[in-house]
Amino acid sequence: MKQDFIKFPLHLILHPFDGFWDMKYENRGKVKVSLAILVLLVLTLILQKQYAGFLVNFVDPRTLNSLDDLQFTVLPFFLFCIANWSITTLMEGEGKFKEIVMTTGYALLPMVLINLPLTFISRFMTQEETSFYWLINSVASIWFILLLFIGIMTVHQYTPAKAVLTLALTVVAMGFVVFLGTLAFSLGLQIYWFIYDVYREIIFRT
Amino acid sequence: MQIKRVLLLAAIVSLLVTLFDVQPAPASAAAPYEAYNYDFYGDAVPLPAPYLPEYAITGKSLGVGDFNQPSDMYVAKDGSVYILDKGNARVIVLDSSLKVKQVIADFDNNGKQDVLAGPEGLFVSEKNEIYVADTEHNRVVVLSNDGKLLKTIESPKSDILPKDFKFVPLKVTVDSADRVFVVSRGVFEGIMQFDEKSDFMGYVGTISVSPTLWDRLWRSLSTKAQKQQMELFIPTEFASVDIDSKGFVYATAIDINSNETIKRLNPSGQDVLKRFGYWPVKGDIRFRMFGTNSGPSKLIDIKVLDGGMYVALDSNRARLFTYNDEGDLLHVFGGRGNQLGVFNNPVAVEQIGDKLAVLDMGKNNIAVFKPTTFGSLVREATIEHYTGNDDKAVKLWEQVLRLNTNYEIAYLGIGKSLLMEKKNKEAMEYFKLGMSRKNYSVAYKRYRREVMKDNFGSFMTVLISLIAAFVAYRLARHAIRRRSVKREAGFY
Repeated sequence: MKQDFIKFPLHLILHPFDGFWDMKYENRGKVKVSLAILVLLVLTLILQKQYAGFLVNFVDPRTLNSLDDLQFTVLPFFLFCIANWSITTLMEGEGKFKEIVMTTGYALLPMVLINLPLTFISRFMTQEETSFYWLINSVASIWFILLLFIGIMTVHQYTPAKAVLTLALTVVAMGFVVFLGTLAFSLGLQIYWFIYDVYREIIFRT
Repeated sequence: MQIKRVLLLAAIVSLLVTLFDVQPAPASAAAPYEAYNYDFYGDAVPLPAPYLPEYAITGKSLGVGDFNQPSDMYVAKDGSVYILDKGNARVIVLDSSLKVKQVIADFDNNGKQDVLAGPEGLFVSEKNEIYVADTEHNRVVVLSNDGKLLKTIESPKSDILPKDFKFVPLKVTVDSADRVFVVSRGVFEGIMQFDEKSDFMGYVGTISVSPTLWDRLWRSLSTKAQKQQMELFIPTEFASVDIDSKGFVYATAIDINSNETIKRLNPSGQDVLKRFGYWPVKGDIRFRMFGTNSGPSKLIDIKVLDGGMYVALDSNRARLFTYNDEGDLLHVFGGRGNQLGVFNNPVAVEQIGDKLAVLDMGKNNIAVFKPTTFGSLVREATIEHYTGNDDKAVKLWEQVLRLNTNYEIAYLGIGKSLLMEKKNKEAMEYFKLGMSRKNYSVAYKRYRREVMKDNFGSFMTVLISLIAAFVAYRLARHAIRRRSVKREAGFY
């Protein structure tokens, strides 16, 4: 338990090449750990929006909605996984879907680890010190992107150039998925209303 | 019979009751507009009306015949009101009780009778001389207070002016040293400045124009013929000028692309308006881009009030924007319509005592607005704060908050004075309510230092003793363990 949930993820974010290799070939990674990290990320985001210090918190309290935070974190996560899986399957990637989910989840860990204490510290900052807040925040994001890049590279056994290309294509594919999803949704809605109208017509006739 | 009488009595009584029953005054009918303010998030927040229309002055009510397209007015220090009646080419002078003192329709110009033609702007200097921008005669006419011509400012001669320069004065303002500032039609360089001998001195308040990157890219890609079709990147004209008691010129420009349509020019012509509010000082910050009532505010007149406040008149949506000296929007009211208090084509705003007067060119009248309790409290508090009487200002702001809990500027005002009194923690609370991060940070910094000063000793004591305890624990554990190992080994 401690090995899976604490020791290995911490080892992985500090030694990504080593860690992702172990995750893939030594069966050290667990999907449930990855999903736990995702849930923690959602929690830290909610806490950050709610409790970050006044000087760094520009969120309009009237727009706070934890469900929004949930869906805008979880949906892109799986969107990325699906898009990446679709692209890498075509591009001779060796990674399985499960491995992509694990990689993305583990890569999110620095955001969780940095966001939570930073939210607390931001309550004791003055205006001049808030630049550190933004700096550390961006360090977390850069760390995440770096981990994701290394993870994708290792999981699919890509060269760095190919990994960059796949990541770019993944973003494009995410756009496609969103577009197709919206299209399907709107068509589905039309069909639903059509059936509903026909149903009402029949009801009123009899 | 008995019943009939009782019924009759009841009917009479009920009639009388309805006759003498005090009807509650309709609460909302008093103001024909919605007053509002912009909060930190840029939403328009309703306010209690700061001013209510009181009455309207027309030419007929003054007994001088109807106004015909009145274009400007001015209220002098002594309270007398000067109205420039453009269509009738006359200046109407009212005394402080708004009775007609004089009507100046013509004047003696070197033995000849002379009249005004389509005058657009009016100003009365501290020496009580009347300056009229006589637009269609291309001159500024200076009259004494009893209607005698003192001098005229004709088309200026200068090296920096082109040969075919046409002087079309629209608005005029004079400072205490008799320097004259003229807004002229078709002049994009700034406000024309004349010295006391009516010689042209130069321009002040030049509007700088900086095309956006997109504009430049688009221009570099277009052909010569297309370029000729395009708009030129020329600065816009000023619309109106006013001068405050310190000699700073306030000017408005109608520039839809600018966020700095109100300017406060120092004597060397630089813009020194404070813009510390959440939003640019330019009238409405949220508006529709297309359709009716769309587009940014066109500020066609500005008036400096007391306490560093100034009010700008928007001709697009006929609203009045009042700002304090720091550039915080205090309130907005007014609108288009036919009732008293809303306007058809407002052109000038002035202050009569603590009242506001708006000249309406379309309705040919002057609407006079009386401050409400809310309006006068805000006004007084701003003035007290401006003059440095913070404790008085705080009491007034507290009353303002009782009328409107959402008034962020009141929280700021209280916070600032609390900060002065070194009540940092309370000040933080108020700055948070006023959504001012800059001031909050200052208060918080002081508060944090205070707490640190008080608690550093005890904090360090606790920390050091905790470290000592931890070290002692480790040492003890180590010793015990070693001893047990030794015991097992049979040393004891």
